[in-house]
Amino acid sequence: MDHKINPWENVLAQLKTWAVCNSPWAIHFNSGSCNGCDIEILATLTPRYDLERLGVKLQGSPRHADVLICTGPVTRQARERLLRIYEQMHEPKFVVAVGSCALSGGVFQGCYNVMGGIDQVIPVNAYIPGCPPRPEAIIDGVVKLLMSQLQPSDGHQPDPQTAEAVAS
Amino acid sequence: MEVENKQQVNRFTVPIGPQHPALKEPGHFLITVEGEIVTDATVRLGYAHRGIERAVEERSWVQSMYILERVCGICSHIHATAYALGVEKLAEVEVPPRAQAIRVLVAEMERIHSHLLWLGVAAHEAGFDTLFMYSWRDRETVMDLLEGLTGNRVNYSANVLGGVKCDVDEAQADAIRQGLEFLEERTHHYLNVVTTDALFLQRTRGVGTMTRTQAELLGATGPTARASGVKRDVRVDAPYAAYDDYPAHMVIETNGDLEARFVVRIKELFESYRIIREVLDTLPPGELTARMPRRVKAGETISRVEAPRGELFYFIKSNGTDQPERIRVRTPTICNMASVVRLAVGHQLADVPMILVGIDPCFSCNDRMVIVEGANAERRSWTWEDLRQYGIEHYHQQSA
Amino acid sequence: MTTEETLTLANDLLVNWVWSAESNRPEPNRLDVRLLSSTDLMPMVVGLRVQRLGYLAAITGLDPGPESDEMEVLYHFCAGQAVVTLRVSIPRVGGAVATLSDVIPSAEAYERELSEMFGVAVTGLRKPQHLYLPDDWPDGVYPLLKDADLSALPAAMPAALPNISKE
Repeated sequence: MDHKINPWENVLAQLKTWAVCNSPWAIHFNSGSCNGCDIEILATLTPRYDLERLGVKLQGSPRHADVLICTGPVTRQARERLLRIYEQMHEPKFVVAVGSCALSGGVFQGCYNVMGGIDQVIPVNAYIPGCPPRPEAIIDGVVKLLMSQLQPSDGHQPDPQTAEAVAS
Repeated sequence: MEVENKQQVNRFTVPIGPQHPALKEPGHFLITVEGEIVTDATVRLGYAHRGIERAVEERSWVQSMYILERVCGICSHIHATAYALGVEKLAEVEVPPRAQAIRVLVAEMERIHSHLLWLGVAAHEAGFDTLFMYSWRDRETVMDLLEGLTGNRVNYSANVLGGVKCDVDEAQADAIRQGLEFLEERTHHYLNVVTTDALFLQRTRGVGTMTRTQAELLGATGPTARASGVKRDVRVDAPYAAYDDYPAHMVIETNGDLEARFVVRIKELFESYRIIREVLDTLPPGELTARMPRRVKAGETISRVEAPRGELFYFIKSNGTDQPERIRVRTPTICNMASVVRLAVGHQLADVPMILVGIDPCFSCNDRMVIVEGANAERRSWTWEDLRQYGIEHYHQQSA
Repeated sequence: MTTEETLTLANDLLVNWVWSAESNRPEPNRLDVRLLSSTDLMPMVVGLRVQRLGYLAAITGLDPGPESDEMEVLYHFCAGQAVVTLRVSIPRVGGAVATLSDVIPSAEAYERELSEMFGVAVTGLRKPQHLYLPDDWPDGVYPLLKDADLSALPAAMPAALPNISKE
């Protein structure tokens, strides 16, 4: 069945992408990590790396967040909380798994209380390896994720100004 | 007509956790309040429990080192040191003095990074984001030094069974000395801030006071205990690694309140700077490692070290094979948790975030939750951010 | 008091006086005291407290494996460099010890952990709920027992909730 494509939908989609990519609001969740990754994520907010100047704001509520930055090998106790947070986020939403534990369980693979990585529980968009990854690596990973959103697969060209702004 | 004049009793569930930028660990506090005053508190842990004590029984001695380093990212080196010292004792391996001295060097640098980290987190809890940003910026100095020495900013992995992996050359030693000069100047500034800033003192002086008897009875350890006058420091009571050659001095305060806990940790920074300089000036020459057998002699040993948060206790048992029989890891925050739970009672809700952060909780070391029970009435669910904000606004209003 | 004096005092108090116990010195700074009856535990602990000899540093459960009928619970008291360990033998299955938390409040956390990891009943414990293990942990599975059957753990939750699609 054919239906007319509303031209506003394209504009809104581009606007949403621009908003998300220019100033993503992030929420951080620790699903049972040793805190090594968490302190490096926190370090990205501090003056040397200062993620906020790129427009990335780390704040508290999942309902306001575009990006979920997740660490830890997901302990059984934490998986419920992780799912709840993921549910509460509105579309479009992205998940970034930070650190070896979040990728695959890391050194804790096979431990009895551990699920073995974020993607055992929720879909993940970006993986940032390291134990822990440096703040530069974390920023790089987040930027790559955002850049990939600026090149949607339906052939639309991203707005060059937006791409430049995000890359800087 | 009966007038109900009882104050409203509320039960708050305060989940600390994901939505908390500063307190990075997941945990659960259940706090009961009557009006403003906390009447009960409990903690429930389990979010970071990864089953490490079981895991090491299924891995070799060498593999266990890597897992134990990751019990906690903030105090990774001290865990590895406690483990290595214990296993070396069992295997009757004599570690070269240069390696022991380097262990002390890295341990003190870790203590610096941990205390500065805590200072920032505690400042954030109080609403002092400026101090948070400054202390973490300064912390980058010691992170760089650790990276130059060991290759990683966090999880340095400096220890191997039998010694250390990394050496210190003159250039690195000079860089460290320079870094320490900068940090020492900044530390003087921080000491000044926490002891003279009126708004800060409002949240810390006379708050969360724990007497010496309480501290001993509740089993508090580390700076939390020393702030209440308890003279306990494993580096002094039971020197390990090279602390016989580079003795530490205990930093004791007697007031037992939050301010005392701040002062103790900042003064411990000065102690660390002093010890590091001594190590650099008189580093013994020699080998970095001793040969370790793959199979460790059967036996039991106890290894105690002073982590930044307090006493870290390892019980290690070997059955003569290449896998540990049993490793018991008792981390400091579990001792201090009991004190938090007791301290919160009788205080205002607004003081709870600061009281908790005052013990420098490392949930991943312990992974605990606190639940406070109270009388009936509705249960409200607050995020930690709400609670923290509540504390900040409460004191803001008071000073207005 | 030196380490040697501390250990001698502890030995005199715990072994050579009222209670039946055996002791040995596995390392120069350690005294291991094997209780011959688990009911002596509390009086010994009170004795240590009265003498202000050390603080309870940790409680360790030790399981030799299914070939043995018994397991040990170790109570470590530290005083300076000296470590005095009280060793209590209890049945591997269905064993019980009395709580120390009435005398030493900080023991509560250690005892909760001992209980959930080894299945040791700690009588008199006020809040015996799980400390570390998750709420949905199956009963009767004690992770630190050598023959713990960890395959009985609840199956992993489905990878995603029904309305979450993995693209």
